Amino acid sequence: MDQTWRKMFPYLALAVCGGAVAWALTFSTLAPADFTFCNGTEIETIDPARVTGQPEGRIISAVFDCLYRTDPETGEPMPGICTTMDVSKDFKHFVFPLRKDVRWTDDTPLTAKDFVWSFRRFLHPETASKYAYLMYYVVGARNYNAMRLKLGDAVEVELADRKVPEWQFPAGTIVRGTLKKLEGGKPGEPETDKDGFLVTGKETVYVVEDAQGKQHRFFRPTTGVSTPADITPCLHVLPDFEKTVGIHAPDDFTLDIKLNNSTPFFQKLMAFYPLSPVQQACIERHGYPLWTKAENIVSSGPFTLEFRRIRDRIRLKRSPTYWDAKNTRLETVDALAVQADATMLNLYLDGRADWITTVPAAVIPQLKERDDYLRRAILTTYFYRINVTQPPLNDKRVRQALNMAIDKQEIVEFVTKGGQVPARSLVPPGLVGYENPPQCGKYDPAAARKLLAEAGYPGGKGFPVIDILFNTAEGHKLIAEKVQDQWKKNLGIDTRPANQEWGVFLASTHSMHYQIARAAWGADYPDPNTFLDMWVKDGENNETGWHSEEYDQLIKAAEEETDAKKRMEIFQKAEAILMDELPIIPFYFYVKSDMVRTYVKGFYPNVLDIHPLEALSIDLEEKAKVLSER
Amino acid sequence: MAFLLRRLGWMAFTLWVVFTISFFLMRALPGGPFSSERKLPEAIERNIREHYKLDDPLVVQYLRQLGYALQFDFGYSYKLADFRVGEIIMQGLPISCTIGILALAVALGLGLATGIFAAVRRGTFLDYVFRAIATLGIAVPNFVIAGLSIILAVFVVRIFPAGGWGSLSQAMLPALCLGLPYAAYIARLTRSGMLDVLGQDYIRTAKAKGLTPAQIIFKHAIWGALLPVVTFLGPATAGILTGSIVLETIFAIPGIGMHLINAVTQRDYTLAMGLIMVDTAILCGLNLLIDLSYVWLDPRVKVAE
Repeated sequence: MDQTWRKMFPYLALAVCGGAVAWALTFSTLAPADFTFCNGTEIETIDPARVTGQPEGRIISAVFDCLYRTDPETGEPMPGICTTMDVSKDFKHFVFPLRKDVRWTDDTPLTAKDFVWSFRRFLHPETASKYAYLMYYVVGARNYNAMRLKLGDAVEVELADRKVPEWQFPAGTIVRGTLKKLEGGKPGEPETDKDGFLVTGKETVYVVEDAQGKQHRFFRPTTGVSTPADITPCLHVLPDFEKTVGIHAPDDFTLDIKLNNSTPFFQKLMAFYPLSPVQQACIERHGYPLWTKAENIVSSGPFTLEFRRIRDRIRLKRSPTYWDAKNTRLETVDALAVQADATMLNLYLDGRADWITTVPAAVIPQLKERDDYLRRAILTTYFYRINVTQPPLNDKRVRQALNMAIDKQEIVEFVTKGGQVPARSLVPPGLVGYENPPQCGKYDPAAARKLLAEAGYPGGKGFPVIDILFNTAEGHKLIAEKVQDQWKKNLGIDTRPANQEWGVFLASTHSMHYQIARAAWGADYPDPNTFLDMWVKDGENNETGWHSEEYDQLIKAAEEETDAKKRMEIFQKAEAILMDELPIIPFYFYVKSDMVRTYVKGFYPNVLDIHPLEALSIDLEEKAKVLSER
Repeated sequence: MAFLLRRLGWMAFTLWVVFTISFFLMRALPGGPFSSERKLPEAIERNIREHYKLDDPLVVQYLRQLGYALQFDFGYSYKLADFRVGEIIMQGLPISCTIGILALAVALGLGLATGIFAAVRRGTFLDYVFRAIATLGIAVPNFVIAGLSIILAVFVVRIFPAGGWGSLSQAMLPALCLGLPYAAYIARLTRSGMLDVLGQDYIRTAKAKGLTPAQIIFKHAIWGALLPVVTFLGPATAGILTGSIVLETIFAIPGIGMHLINAVTQRDYTLAMGLIMVDTAILCGLNLLIDLSYVWLDPRVKVAE
């Protein structure tokens, strides 16, 4: 028996190997899409409420729809589900009239109630939406999202009786009432935070009185803490959305939103993809994340999700139920998840991708002259953060000297070489109404040396060695080394470029374990506020330890100013303070490079870098010609 | 049989050790799956941590994950939030296996053929040429080979596509680049194994009996020569599994190598754990199969009972 096996073994092994190779060689072919582009990465999720990235934005804007669409040429909002731009007199109270012919992909109508439900889900703390702060301009939104309560507030309590415990929706029973008091903390007056909101903990018991006058006691169970007897377990105690948040649907086709202050750019936010409506019935039937699967998803945008191959491609198909379907010309679109920019370029040059969103910096000089190479400035700034809590960087003169000793022109010409624009302000120029931002000191080594001497370090003597921290990337390393060189030459000080892996780098900057750190910031919406409001005291994206009472007051005043021109003047004053104090040193404004085949029509470079897929079309004749010539 | 059970027991123990070390090592790194350049408002960050139970004591999280892992449930990926880890692995594994199998086929086919040829024609010009190419193949890293072959086979002579996945032509270049270094190793191993065997007494007997050279090589000599090659298959598979990480990134192939490198750099704890477990299981399993196959390849090898 043993002998037979031994004789058979080689043939068995050969058969297995042959079978494996035969299996490996079978492939089912995929028909090519009308338009293929490299999206830069696999998207985190297709759920609009949970994402913050541009690759996600491209897909979600194609599959979902917003109140406003984006004009492909200017990047400005234009009517979408909402029929008009003229919706408010004071930019504080908005009444959006909706189209009556918008339908979901399951052919049911999309109404204002869908918007209210979607915004509620977007702001719900359990959704943990990373862009929730964009809606904080709406009355009551911040309190709802951050679960901030005061005694006497109208509250909604979600009981722990969800149909499917792991699913956020359908929600459990909601009990509405007024928050009477808190129990379980220290005896006496309940603790409040600096804004006057209640501080709650794991043992807090919420006493709520409902409309009939009956008192309920609620408790949120957490791991390791058991519910006390006679108390109803609940999942959330939140401000009552209907009563306290300024989002309502007075009828099926009107959306009414009230803001805390006059916010002129609010309509620009309403074109932003995280604020797309999602269908309640679909989410409640499948739960997250199953509702995002191609066979379950219900959306309302120009394209539908055909399939997803993880880290390979996402295929989108033209949606026949879209209200503007007749103007969508592409039938199928493939978004490739390729990450390596060299591979993207290979695919583009090979004719397998029609648009790539990144071009390897090293080859830009050779590609510059081609007519399918597009380059333009975008609203993103590269800068260095300075930790102002440690000497000598706590001295304004030192920071100004450091800034004036950097030759930014040399950096963009010889280091980055991508045509970037040297920066002397944080806010990029070109924003409507804010064309001339205040400037920090220009390149002047002599003046820099003088300031450094005044600060007590003549010729750089006695100046400690400072680390320049950056996340590991060749580009950042070259810039840091150039800066090290310039500071040594112009000021006589020694610095040390140091790189950290991305996760470690973020941890260091968040916890302020750095002296100087590289940073970049891109606009969420085209308004100076998105660059300037983070430098207030204890702003979570400040991370420099710098603050100024006058600056904080100016930012707050801008928030409340109704006159657009006066508002811009307030921002000018604020940025002037920033450019004088220099907790950050601006380097350059980003330039975005794309390569787009000339046979792709409807693609326009705009300052927001938004290119709606529904505006694109392919000239097939030109495509055949271009591809045969390559 | 007892041998098999003992080995399977060791495999389970290895898997458990790898799981535990990976779990605690990953969490010892600063940064987590939710760090980002824009810090989130404290309330939102708190919600995220509650949702993913990241604030539970580390040991509690460990035991919970272990419990799920024993049921082959690695949960949802943090960074590809719409997919379960199992789904991602099920999509990526066949792709990596395809490339791996084709690469091994290239390695074995090319390696054995040139090795036997070089052994039989020992000392001739062609022998030296093959040995030189083999040395180059072992010395040059696979991503250099990949870069060169892309230039040659994609742009200079347009045979293959530049990357991506979905058709046979997209699989050939990566399989070639992955398999060539191992073909080189196998060629050298086969050559020296063959030379060893061809000097043995029983081969002289076969020649004396009047067998043709072809019969001598393929019916008798090759089996002895195969042993070192089979031994090498273990580390070769390991190398193909890890080498595929680099090549999958260059050729944009959505296999588990690509998923693993992304999971680790993005601190996607769940996906990284699932992939590490799968990789470990494949390695241990294949090594076990190879050990078992010795019994049938060489009559002199007996399993220690």
